[in-house]
Amino acid sequence: MQRSYYLGLAEVGLRMPIGTHLILHEAADPAAIELDGQRLGDVIVRTAGRFNTPLAVPLMDLKLEKEAMLAARGIAGGQIDSYHFDELPAEAPAFRLTPRMLATCEAIRHVAKHPDLVPMGMGIGPFSLMTKLISDPITPVFLAGTGLTADEEPEVALIERVMELGTELLLEYFSAQIDAGAKAMIICEPAANLVYFSPNQLANGYDIFDRYVTAPMRRIKALFDARGVDLVFHDCGELTTGMVERFATLDAAMLSFGCSRQLWEDAALIPKSTVLYGNLPTKRFPASQLSVADVELLAREMLDKMRATGHPFILGSECDVLSVPGSEGEIMAKVEAFMKC
Amino acid sequence: MSTLSELAIAVEGGKRNDAKLFTQALLDQGLKPLAIVEQGLVPGMASIGEKFKNNEVFVPEMLIAARAMKECMLILEPLLAAAGIKPKYTAVIGTVQGDLHDIGKNLVAMMLKGANFGIVDLGTNVAPEKFVAAAQEHSAQLICLSALLTTTMPAMKLTVRAVRAAGLTSAKIMVGGAPVTQEYCDEIGADGYSQDAASAVDLALELAATC
Repeated sequence: MQRSYYLGLAEVGLRMPIGTHLILHEAADPAAIELDGQRLGDVIVRTAGRFNTPLAVPLMDLKLEKEAMLAARGIAGGQIDSYHFDELPAEAPAFRLTPRMLATCEAIRHVAKHPDLVPMGMGIGPFSLMTKLISDPITPVFLAGTGLTADEEPEVALIERVMELGTELLLEYFSAQIDAGAKAMIICEPAANLVYFSPNQLANGYDIFDRYVTAPMRRIKALFDARGVDLVFHDCGELTTGMVERFATLDAAMLSFGCSRQLWEDAALIPKSTVLYGNLPTKRFPASQLSVADVELLAREMLDKMRATGHPFILGSECDVLSVPGSEGEIMAKVEAFMKC
Repeated sequence: MSTLSELAIAVEGGKRNDAKLFTQALLDQGLKPLAIVEQGLVPGMASIGEKFKNNEVFVPEMLIAARAMKECMLILEPLLAAAGIKPKYTAVIGTVQGDLHDIGKNLVAMMLKGANFGIVDLGTNVAPEKFVAAAQEHSAQLICLSALLTTTMPAMKLTVRAVRAAGLTSAKIMVGGAPVTQEYCDEIGADGYSQDAASAVDLALELAATC
């Protein structure tokens, strides 16, 4: 896509949630749909229609890649959630797309038949994938930040090996989504945040963050550039300004941050060629303490403040808006409130 | 001569090898294991917990300190058990059903352990009945529920309901996690909410004392 396309969407005042989960869960059999590319594609198309956006966003399910990595090693479905590598994994066996991944690709293919929509792909970032595969990823990241190398500290060797294998898998999966027709890829790195990286270490320099987050993302961006695909980068974790500055260098078409950031302040850090997206507190939408009127107020304030910066901006959610059983109506009312106000 | 304050400083700084050496040296000097816990490890963890509350240190530093303490406890626990010494309070802790996130839960568990609570860690994705059974089995004073996702917060409510239905009147329920608020705590009938791991210790001590 031309970069001007996204800038144009911001210019005309597009607003949208990442709302596919909400619409999926209006169906009686969401789990079955997740495995059926045609039906999943229909959900994505319907979501774009419901929220009046040309950006066709897949489900933000960041468990697929871990599942694929473990499935390639013969680890069964029931063990996947709790499984972690506790020793250096051997060479990666041939990676195959899992049924859920195949359905995602098929859904993108289905969306691509709609000329009025931009088919988007979705995936986790290398660092966040690693954190799902190690039982305690924080300690070795900290140790690496003190200067310990993989040769000196087995835990550092483990996270670096897992991250390398994970990145290879991601490059293959993202290529498959691009082959299916994705014109933009949403890459989510929610673990690149203050929980995993100590601000005290970052105060002495961002070397560890650059090595573990920015550099792997550049490998992914290089793939997208080579394939003519845009990057939409999402991180809803708690971020420092230094982290935001580094994400700004990724030359993303869009950047999406969580509520830890004041987007109108971050605007000065981001190139005008990158649209800022977000970041209404949608994780709080299920709570009755946040009223519809509150959401309208927050949305209007954000629109005003972003307008004052002159930065290209699309009003939206801080993350994907999840359908919470029993709170569906409350959540949708708040989404509709910020879409209309 | 190693001192308890050196041990506390080593724990606080996450220097696990030093902490283990100091622990062993203090034992060799004839100090009682419980004194090493109460006057060396607990102050070290309390100090870093205070810094965590004040945003002077962050989760990684807390984990490093907790790891140092844990390794010292590996030396001390068999001795404490042999002497028949048990923690004054016991807490059952877990991430509620449907939720696999454990960083916050682990931090609270480590901080409580650092404050000399006995910990029964049920892990993640814990069903309400499992909390109830563990609390009954271990005569726990505290049941600590963690959730990171808005989608799993209802499981917290179900767990509180299950604990109340089981008649565990002597156990207090603490809740925490990114989307959880004091209002939600009140709404579901839990006994206390803590917004971070360090504050959880203060709350736990307060609640346990009322049991």
